[in-house]
Amino acid sequence: MLKDFLEGKPLRHPIHPMLVHFPIGLFILSFVFDLASLVFPFEPYLLRDSFYAMLLGVIMALVAAVPGFVDYTDIRSDHPGKRTATAHLILNLMVVGLYGINLGVRSSMLVDQRIRTGPFVLSLISIGLLSASGYLGGRLVYDQGIAVGRHKRRTSTPQDTLYFSAADQIGTQNREGDVFFVPIPEAERLGDRETLRVDIDGQVMAIAKIDNQFYAFQEFCTHRFGPLSEGCFHDFNVQCPWHNSCFDVRTGKVTNGPAKVDLKTFRIEMREGKVCVGVPLAGGKSA
Amino acid sequence: MKFLLNILKGKWLGHPLHPILVHIPMAMWPGALIFDLLSQWRIGGNAMVRLSFYAIIFGLAASLLAVPTGVVDWSGIKKEKPAWKIGLYHMILNLLVALLFAINLGLRTQTFREATRVAGAPLLLSVVGTALLIGSAYLGGMMTYTYGISVARMSKDKWRKIAEAGGANVPPE
Repeated sequence: MLKDFLEGKPLRHPIHPMLVHFPIGLFILSFVFDLASLVFPFEPYLLRDSFYAMLLGVIMALVAAVPGFVDYTDIRSDHPGKRTATAHLILNLMVVGLYGINLGVRSSMLVDQRIRTGPFVLSLISIGLLSASGYLGGRLVYDQGIAVGRHKRRTSTPQDTLYFSAADQIGTQNREGDVFFVPIPEAERLGDRETLRVDIDGQVMAIAKIDNQFYAFQEFCTHRFGPLSEGCFHDFNVQCPWHNSCFDVRTGKVTNGPAKVDLKTFRIEMREGKVCVGVPLAGGKSA
Repeated sequence: MKFLLNILKGKWLGHPLHPILVHIPMAMWPGALIFDLLSQWRIGGNAMVRLSFYAIIFGLAASLLAVPTGVVDWSGIKKEKPAWKIGLYHMILNLLVALLFAINLGLRTQTFREATRVAGAPLLLSVVGTALLIGSAYLGGMMTYTYGISVARMSKDKWRKIAEAGGANVPPE
């Protein structure tokens, strides 16, 4: 419940990207005041203003860290963006630490005319790290699609990809011609409108449970390849979290654009009480 | 012309520019309101009044850069999409907010060097401007997080490769 709140679901907008404007803007403002104190040494209060801007920046950075950390824990552990997110997190902690030290150093220099070298260099380094970290944060959203459409999905999203191989079914009864039926034990624990992200011999798919029925379809949207295992469901439609393309999970047909190409779907059968997904051997390349 | 458009879209940076630039006004103007309020409680004296004044200027300067990058991103949205209309409201609100803070700044220029407290009219303008800005920023965030504007625009080739490797049906290039 608290997690949903911190992810911004009631607000229908992630909270971390809203709050980060404040530390970023205020730290830059603080640096502008430092520079101004070098150019206009007779202008009063510049270093006092720099201090206050930095102080408010640190407070807002700590506030922004809370929903940021929640968003971080929500990223699938094998998502290509996870490493970027880890770097973003570590850089931000460094930046806040540096500004904490900076505030301590400055607190006794508020009446100076010009900024001294020590705190100035600290600010300079911090602005560099902050810019890098902010850039990575932006890449997480605009390249990796982290937090995009996340608020639309009310259930939790897969934390890992599950790996299986059809080769394990050779010599069993789970075969119909070229199609092997691979049991997915984790599927039995799925709640309604929850999903798994499954990789069978390189074929990546989402498995969803809707009204006690299971459906398997390709993981990637056919528009810009958004993650359908993180999509939300409207009746039998899965909606891509990124640009809202909809597909019928039963047939894979596009029911709403911008996507134009249908999804690949996979047969699901109950075999000996187990949820099994049918794939051609070697992920559809050749048997 | 195309060269200029690519600069404004942030292709050289691998990141859309508008959402980077908006951090400045988005922090400066609500920040100015906070400093205005602090000055009402006699905290910080003239330092707060000046801080607020410079924050408004810095926000206005950055918004001059945020406008062309935002217009370019918006012009890439098809008119029949819901995000087009949201973008239009976002733009109108932002122009209004920038105008309010420009007036706000004008009201302060005579007094900010000595005053220890921000007067009623500029304070009111900060309140109204910040409220409208938050509404407008929410719409901007909606464009990204609900409609995916600029999302995977520059990374779509990378994602296509990942999707192909994952055995997905993909559209022709």
